Amino acid sequence: MKRMMIAGSLPRRGWLVLLLLVGLAAALPALALDLQQAKSQGLVGETASGYVAPVTGASPEVQALVEHVNRQRRAEYQRIARANDIAVADVEALAGKRAIERTPPGQYVNVDGRWRRK
Amino acid sequence: MKRIYGAGLVLALGAGLWACTPTVRVEAPTEPITINLNVRIDHEIRVRVDRELDELFSEDSDLF
Repeated sequence: MKRMMIAGSLPRRGWLVLLLLVGLAAALPALALDLQQAKSQGLVGETASGYVAPVTGASPEVQALVEHVNRQRRAEYQRIARANDIAVADVEALAGKRAIERTPPGQYVNVDGRWRRK
Repeated sequence: MKRIYGAGLVLALGAGLWACTPTVRVEAPTEPITINLNVRIDHEIRVRVDRELDELFSEDSDLF
């Protein structure tokens, strides 16, 4: 059993693996930001379409978050639409209204194409 | 001694002025947020869908 090497005495392979992992981590926008945080920071908000959107200039991190959330929501809306035999567009519209209603004051919502603070 | 009088005078004048100026706050009246729904579905289905959506938008959901 080879003795574990640490820090400066890492075998070359170890360093390469480490570099590779760091490189990967830097390349992927991390989902360290969650939706609630993004909302309370005014970075994203609910829209009448039933999906979330960035309020202003979206960083890659915010964009990744928005895409991630919306993708999951779309799947849920499709499931609900199928289960109730109605159009997805109808579910989306109902969801948008509900999401905006449930948005706490101070956060941003987009209604009629306009961002406003609730 | 004169310096204390001077400072006191300035303070008194300042306090007097501050008490006289009315605070005027201009706030734009916020119209209520209205969403015009154009969804035509049975009431029963609407109720059911609203309930399902409420679950989706509950406080412990990571989708809201």
